[in-house]
Amino acid sequence: MSWGGGPEEIFLSTSLASYLDRKLLILLRDGRKLMGLLRSFDQFANAVLEGACERVIVGDLYCDIPLGLYVIRGENVVLIGELDLEKEELPQHMTRVSAAEIKRAQKAERDATDLKGSMRKRMEFLDMD
Amino acid sequence: MLFFSYFKDLVGREVTVELKNDLAIRGTLHSVDQYLNIKLENTRVVDQDKYPHMLSVRNCFIRGSVVRYVQLPPDGVDVELLHDATRREARGG
Repeated sequence: MSWGGGPEEIFLSTSLASYLDRKLLILLRDGRKLMGLLRSFDQFANAVLEGACERVIVGDLYCDIPLGLYVIRGENVVLIGELDLEKEELPQHMTRVSAAEIKRAQKAERDATDLKGSMRKRMEFLDMD
Repeated sequence: MLFFSYFKDLVGREVTVELKNDLAIRGTLHSVDQYLNIKLENTRVVDQDKYPHMLSVRNCFIRGSVVRYVQLPPDGVDVELLHDATRREARGG
């Protein structure tokens, strides 16, 4: 595969080459957010992330769960964002918590949506909306 | 290849890309490729409060397959030109 010319052209093209060895945020189709260093990619946006971690956000809480070296299949990729290291990664009001705590918060949120769903189902005969 | 050429002409303009997951991102169109993958610069998310993790993303690559709409600048389309190009392409070159 050609890189489409010299080093200047990499920055003009849509190729991911300009993101190599940078810290990136990758959004996946299932809503997960992975962060890590881009080490390799191809034309399908398959990507190798070194030092990958998943950023879990629940309300104002967040947690980075370390994953290791990840190969991401391109079809699951929604967006690849270059992180501006100068800027705050998250708004200041957000708090970092432990993995156990974020799992609890995630479960509480899931239970709440499940409850809402089941209530809605029971009220369906009212023909709301 | 019509829309590929069309988007190439829009490089440098401000566009809003709405994704299939409802995330809408505004930014300067940096480049586009044959899959209609899009690179944006100076991005900002339209509904920032809902997507706090996007705060520090300045440049991004969007996979063409997840794009729902691209909102163009009001003068972003020369209808006459596009019309002609469409007919030319439909005739096969």
